[in-house]
Amino acid sequence: MNRRTVIKSILFVSAGASLIPACMNDKGKASFLLKNITVGGDEEKMLADLCETIIPATTGVPGAKELSSHLFALTMIDECMPKEGQQKFMKGLTAFETLVKQRYSKDFTLCTAEQKTALLTDIEQKKNIPAEVNDFYGIVKRFTIQSFTTSQYFLTKVQVYELVPGRYHGCVPVKTA
Amino acid sequence: MANNNFDAIVIGSGISGGWAAKEFCEKGLKTLVLERGRNVVHNKDYPTTNMMPWEFKHRGQIPEDIAEKNPSIARCYAYREDAMHFFVKDTDHPYVQDKPFDWIRGYQVGGKSIMWARQTQRWSDYDFDGPVRDGYAVDWPIRYKDLAPWYSYVETFAGISGHRDGLPNLPDGEFLPALDLSCVENYFKDFIAKTYNDRHVIYARCAHVTEPQPIHLKQGRGQCQKRTLCQRGCPFGGYFNSNSTTIPWAANTGNMTLRPFSVVESIIYDDKKGRATGVRVIDTNTKEQAEFYAPVIFVNAAALNTNLILLNSTSSRFPNGLGNDNGLLGKYVAFHNYRGHISAVHHGHLDSTTDGRSPTSAYIPRFRNVFKQETDFLRGYAAGFSANRWGGGRKAEGFGVALKENLMKKPELGPWFVGSHMMGETIPKETNFVSLDKTQKDEWGMPLLKINVGYDDNDEKMLKDFFDQLTEMYTKAGFTDIRTGDSKQAPGLDIHEMGGIRMGKDPKTSLLNEWNQLHACKNVFVTDGACMTSTSTQNPSLTYMALTARAVDHAVSELKKNQL
Repeated sequence: MNRRTVIKSILFVSAGASLIPACMNDKGKASFLLKNITVGGDEEKMLADLCETIIPATTGVPGAKELSSHLFALTMIDECMPKEGQQKFMKGLTAFETLVKQRYSKDFTLCTAEQKTALLTDIEQKKNIPAEVNDFYGIVKRFTIQSFTTSQYFLTKVQVYELVPGRYHGCVPVKTA
Repeated sequence: MANNNFDAIVIGSGISGGWAAKEFCEKGLKTLVLERGRNVVHNKDYPTTNMMPWEFKHRGQIPEDIAEKNPSIARCYAYREDAMHFFVKDTDHPYVQDKPFDWIRGYQVGGKSIMWARQTQRWSDYDFDGPVRDGYAVDWPIRYKDLAPWYSYVETFAGISGHRDGLPNLPDGEFLPALDLSCVENYFKDFIAKTYNDRHVIYARCAHVTEPQPIHLKQGRGQCQKRTLCQRGCPFGGYFNSNSTTIPWAANTGNMTLRPFSVVESIIYDDKKGRATGVRVIDTNTKEQAEFYAPVIFVNAAALNTNLILLNSTSSRFPNGLGNDNGLLGKYVAFHNYRGHISAVHHGHLDSTTDGRSPTSAYIPRFRNVFKQETDFLRGYAAGFSANRWGGGRKAEGFGVALKENLMKKPELGPWFVGSHMMGETIPKETNFVSLDKTQKDEWGMPLLKINVGYDDNDEKMLKDFFDQLTEMYTKAGFTDIRTGDSKQAPGLDIHEMGGIRMGKDPKTSLLNEWNQLHACKNVFVTDGACMTSTSTQNPSLTYMALTARAVDHAVSELKKNQL
């Protein structure tokens, strides 16, 4: 088992805890081994920022960065998506970076919160947005939401998942609360 | 192993092999149980059983490279990240599809009993009478009265939850208490009972310990906790599988030798003695051959692999496979037609919902052509029925704090969603068969199985009737937004493949007699799905269990009389 694999398994075993050492975030390389898609360290940082913009940290509730949603998204895209989906993601990632550069002459990570919000508002409303960017955004958003709603936080604090319900009642009144 | 002699050999440790093991061992026979896969020990080898949803790397999904390379197994509803280790990958154990056939297999101690859907409905004489009444296949050599006490015997031990419905075409059994049906399942049940004379909706009988009896506690099993994660293996032993029930019971007698990683290459037939003397086994790890001997051999390798073993067991007496004097070995394979499904919405009962999770649902026993022929197709179908109320989808518009707050809101309850799937009888035909590939072998030197099984016109007509009748029943019940769907799935995905070594009265037209003995080699018994003369519509495992216990009882009494 090489170092990256070890770190990768720690990452997933610890279920979303932020354990990525700073030394892993060197430019040009993703922090873990991808099999089918090629994503660099800068792009990974950008994705982390994008996911956090989609689901930001709020008081007492973790956001996408803390849940490592971008790493979950990358894993799902890399391992569970058919080739066409991966190609859409990769093409869209480049198109997204180009769009950001055109609009703000800088990388997404360096944009202000207002700029990020303005951009995502336009994407959500599909205002003059290239199709590739829509595809890319759709993919990232879908996995960010999945990462959030299947996180330990969500399933223990928001909508409690019961491993052992111990009961089944076929007909109960709907609670109006 | 110095001593290769046993009193009985059982090939396979799944739902029927586990029963054969238990019965032989309990009756004091030193029994060798051969399993081609690894050992799976109850609780010890259920690695995912207590995992939380967020602990699955892919949240349940199968990685694309695995799905792409293994299209057949990837189509199985239960082949998900939490139970994939219990299923055979297409690439690990190839076979030849002369026609599309999704062969779903579980190679380990317990076989597919670990991941089965646990539905346990008895057959009646309206099922056993089918072939002779309607003129297909051959007459079953047994009737309900022959099997009824054995159904009771296996139900009591396995733990079957059910409701006594008093239906002649779906006999009642030895039931533990039924769980609830949902409000709308009950509504539909009552509605159908008062609207039709001949149709019923009942609680689907299932192999769950809803109220443990002393026998279950003695097995070390407890009450079903409604986790509905059964396919992972149950830490409570809440449902029946070989691993929690029959195999440890057999082991506790001290009479069982369990040998995993043992592919049976063939059954050894001794021309001089005129009987089978043992089995040739290939160790899957070392690829070394070994032979084991016993006066009686039970073949419970799962329907199609049992066919493969017999076809591969050639001798000068049986050049075309063991017991195959009539050339019918491997033929008359049938299955269940699961292509049809129907769903709808119910806007009533909106003040009610369900709480907790149910491991079963409702069941519509066959109502077509039961008491007499009444349609332009033969036989009929049973159907599942379930009605659940799910939260409407979460609002996923926008991004940022607004999106997050929407996601965290409790979703509003939607209407009731109802659905049924068909389980149609298919007619066994000589043209639906399996055979051995003449050139291709697997890595242990076993010939690959060639599968040539397809649908026919009767299946198409039945599918249409299922859509018509269920649509009528749903419409009358006031359900709306009714949608029918034909999955067009290949045979095999129903995981109810049967036949090839059918039972019958006449050695000229069948392979097995009324005790599941090969007509031409009486000390070899087949009591898994391969023995089925016809399929009817019930989930078949309970019938395999009963046939197995009955056949072992007969085998042991014949052994005692020196008649095997």
